[in-house]
Amino acid sequence: MTTPAGTIFFLPGLGFGAAAAGPIADALDALAGGRLRVVGIDLPGHDGSPDAPNGSVAALADRAVQVIEAEADGGPFVIAAHSMGGKVTAVVTDRILRGRANVFGLAGLVLLAPSPPTPEPMSEDKRAEMLSWVDDGPISQGHASEFVAQNVAAPLGEAAARAAVEQLRRMSPLAWRRWLTEGSVEDLSSDIGVLDLPVVVLAGEDDDDLGASAQPQLLADVYPRARFVSLASTGHLLPYERAAEVADEIVRLWDATVPTAPQVTPEWGRLIASERTAPEARGFLAHRALADDPDYAPRVLSPEQLSMLRALADRLVPQSGTARVDLAARVDADLALARSDGWRNEGQPANVFAYRLGLDDLSALWPDDTDDQNATAEQNALIEGIISGELNEHQALGGDAWNGTMRQHWFDDLRTDLTRIWLSHPASFARIGYDGFATSGPAFGSVGYNTVAAGLRDPWEPVELGDLA
Amino acid sequence: MRTYDRDEIVDVVVVGTGAGGAPLLARLAGRGLKVVALEAGPNTDPDGFTNDEVEAPRINWMSERLSGGGDPTAFGTNNSGFGVGGGTLHWGAFTPRPDARDLRLRTESGVGEDWPIDHAELTRYVAEVERTIGVSGPTPYPWDPEREYLEPPVDRNAPADLMAAGCARLGIRATDAPAAILSRDRDQPHFGNRRSSQNLGSIHQGERYGTKATTANTYLPAAVADGAEIRPDSMVHGIELDAQGRVGAVVYRHDGKEYRQRCANLVLAGGGIETPRLLLNTGLANSSGQVGRNFLAHGGVQVWGRFDEQIRGYRGYPSSLISEDFVRPEGVDFAGGYLLQSLGVMPLNYATTVIRGAGLWGAELMNALDAWRYSAGIGINGECLPAENNRLVLSDELDEWGVPRALVTFTAGANENAITEHATATMTRILEAAGALETRVLARTAHTLGTCRMSADPATGVIDAEGRSHDIPNMWISDNSTFPSSLSANPCLTQMALSLRTADLMLR
Ligand SMILES: Cc1cc2nc3c(=O)[nH]c(=O)nc-3n(C[C@H](O)[C@H](O)[C@H](O)COP(=O)(O)OP(=O)(O)OC[C@H]3O[C@@H](n4cnc5c(N)ncnc54)[C@H](O)[C@@H]3O)c2cc1C
Repeated sequence: MTTPAGTIFFLPGLGFGAAAAGPIADALDALAGGRLRVVGIDLPGHDGSPDAPNGSVAALADRAVQVIEAEADGGPFVIAAHSMGGKVTAVVTDRILRGRANVFGLAGLVLLAPSPPTPEPMSEDKRAEMLSWVDDGPISQGHASEFVAQNVAAPLGEAAARAAVEQLRRMSPLAWRRWLTEGSVEDLSSDIGVLDLPVVVLAGEDDDDLGASAQPQLLADVYPRARFVSLASTGHLLPYERAAEVADEIVRLWDATVPTAPQVTPEWGRLIASERTAPEARGFLAHRALADDPDYAPRVLSPEQLSMLRALADRLVPQSGTARVDLAARVDADLALARSDGWRNEGQPANVFAYRLGLDDLSALWPDDTDDQNATAEQNALIEGIISGELNEHQALGGDAWNGTMRQHWFDDLRTDLTRIWLSHPASFARIGYDGFATSGPAFGSVGYNTVAAGLRDPWEPVELGDLA
Repeated sequence: MRTYDRDEIVDVVVVGTGAGGAPLLARLAGRGLKVVALEAGPNTDPDGFTNDEVEAPRINWMSERLSGGGDPTAFGTNNSGFGVGGGTLHWGAFTPRPDARDLRLRTESGVGEDWPIDHAELTRYVAEVERTIGVSGPTPYPWDPEREYLEPPVDRNAPADLMAAGCARLGIRATDAPAAILSRDRDQPHFGNRRSSQNLGSIHQGERYGTKATTANTYLPAAVADGAEIRPDSMVHGIELDAQGRVGAVVYRHDGKEYRQRCANLVLAGGGIETPRLLLNTGLANSSGQVGRNFLAHGGVQVWGRFDEQIRGYRGYPSSLISEDFVRPEGVDFAGGYLLQSLGVMPLNYATTVIRGAGLWGAELMNALDAWRYSAGIGINGECLPAENNRLVLSDELDEWGVPRALVTFTAGANENAITEHATATMTRILEAAGALETRVLARTAHTLGTCRMSADPATGVIDAEGRSHDIPNMWISDNSTFPSSLSANPCLTQMALSLRTADLMLR
């Protein structure tokens, strides 16, 4: 299977620079044969990059977002982050999903012993010790080596150990101090809330505060879709200790989220990312573009009803290929939010009840042997009969609570709901040639269309939409 | 913003800030009256609008209404305003003037109703509204040589070009549509800069740049500058009468709490659904039994043609071409007529219409969605005759404010069906003349009118020719519910004109 090319952005932990991505990048190359580009990010004060204007996590996130905006190509990307970078990534992800960064294409996160959005657990002794290492300027060779040794389960190879220590020595003492006294203790949990996207969290069994046993408690509420992986004989420095396993998990997350969800081409991705698109609109599109959870647990429907709805969705709004939107799951999620289109037919039960009754009723009628040609023909006849009203007289399961016109009206609502969900996905916009989201930018310059004639397009529009005026 | 004490007897409380409420509010405030507007929905800053069709309905009345009859009308985004600005936040800004013949439909044809209002008087107000909000259009106007538009028309988009070509081939007159979209930047008094047209096709979702006139960027800031108070998120659900049977106060819900505002006069401007719902729920102003009767919905059938080229009608002012040639078509057996407008629509709107209006599903649906960008439409606004059984009643289901939901029953009559049939044939011919490879008809109705209609005779309507309740001397209605007949013109411009007229009559 060929996967679209994409990017892994790497946000390192305290003391480490972009170069810390090296072992993971090498492992990815071996594994994925160059289909994933790795971009390491020097956070402020690290590996020679200038210090941030202040010690907040937001200031670190500002730099990360700058780099991601500059390096992103409009295609899909995953953020991998270690330790301190994990806390920064929570802020970055929150901004991306709210549309407050000029990027598009975030598919998921791979977090390595991440620092949580809440104050990072750390003993005062350890904090004091680490602070003392930079009392007199940059960390010494000895303390840097000690730091590495404290954070690994087994000694690193000589080259890796040297690389790690070199990076630590180049770190600004101010950045180190600020993280320990400001960034790590910030509580961002109420700003960030819930980040509902594909996430895998890796942590070592021999790490203490941010180790495998601590992570679920720290992060399960922030990342409801997180999968937690614990690594035996592993300390805190996963990018050095377990580069191969990390690369494995990156590819696994990538394959589970990118080829399975409809993608826009980089050209469309860049348009969504651009100033022409309002942040709020970009946020909506970023959420819709995320791969659905294959283990989605229905909130309103029963699992049987969800399966029936999936079968109907396949027939009513067919999607070809393997990249799909789980329309049924998204309908269920909308039902849980009690979203309505503002009206319903006289006598029709409220939306949720109509869905439950309708799906139960159809389960009883549905010819479900999908391999069988006859079954498909029977399904077609059933669908046609419901839409036309011919089946209104057909005895329904549920008796009077679900008579024939209710089924017909619900079916109109169902087809509308499924279609609107499919259509509002950014890849569907691209497919049908709709770029109107990019006419919502800030109120200066030309915000809308100059060219409105048939067959023509404005220079900023994707090329397939017409000839230049 | 000036504020008033709830115990102060303000001169006028206005319920609703849309096309019916806002111009009147501004006029009354401008004459020094103490006025308070209560608006059920939120106040949204211009950059709070989104053109995303899934999320934009925060400017629509999304609390459910129940729809019945042979041709149930769709509510939600199809038919309602919610928030400071009311329906003008999402309206299409298509601004034909009311035709004199439509105001005398009964005299002319023996069916429908006459308006107890002089056309020339109404037109003076219409012209004033056009000046105030900024309406662009062609001068001379083919069907009204007297008329002058102060702003040149906005650009024609691809559907307009095609409709123009088709009409030209058939000898049908068509021209740039009058639209409440600026063709030049302007500094709107008390609001600020409004930009000239940006050729946005997403104006129904709420528009951030002020190119489209709403009451929120015209009349309401003027009203506030003159001392009006606007209270958003304030849902009126009760009306208190004094011993003389006059309105003394209104009761409303804000932030989950109940409040009462005393007032010397009350203007209901909640629109064609909410005003009759409030009156039926309070049992007021209904000695005629006409509250909720004669619900009118304009015929809104559309025909879409598929073409070779990418039309992408979501670009540009969506209905930038008009024809008034069918306001009184020749050789027909129906009363009244219809306006034609070219159509480009947003994708989810189109999808919803092909699903509900043409029953598509599966591969055929996906093909229709793929063909959308190659498609141009024409739609109508068609006369709807009042019918006793097309009506709004209260259901036994309560909404989130504890008020019974409205149940609206609508069945198109023979006249409506005849208009739809005639218009469908006309539009199909135009599209075919323009080179359409295939055409598709989509059923639709629009607008909510007539449910508290204006009448000279107290027995046949709810308000008099001035807009005052036949029953309660200090209660007025200023919204689409007052329309005695639907007119072939879209209602909003007429509504704003009526609103100013009612204000002037109140001030007399
Ligand atoms: C999709 C669409 C497109 C349209 N396009 C056009 C067009 O192009 N041209 C045209 O002429 N017309 C158009 N219209 C019609 C136009 O919007 C209406 O004619 C006009 O807005 C009606 O004015 P109104 O004052 O009756 O009601 P509205 O403008 O809807 O205002 C009513 C206001 O009252 C508030 N309200 C209601 N009940 C209460 C209560 N109990 N307490 C407090 N507040 C309350 C509501 O929240 C709302 O803000 C369109 C309508 C729709 C739905």
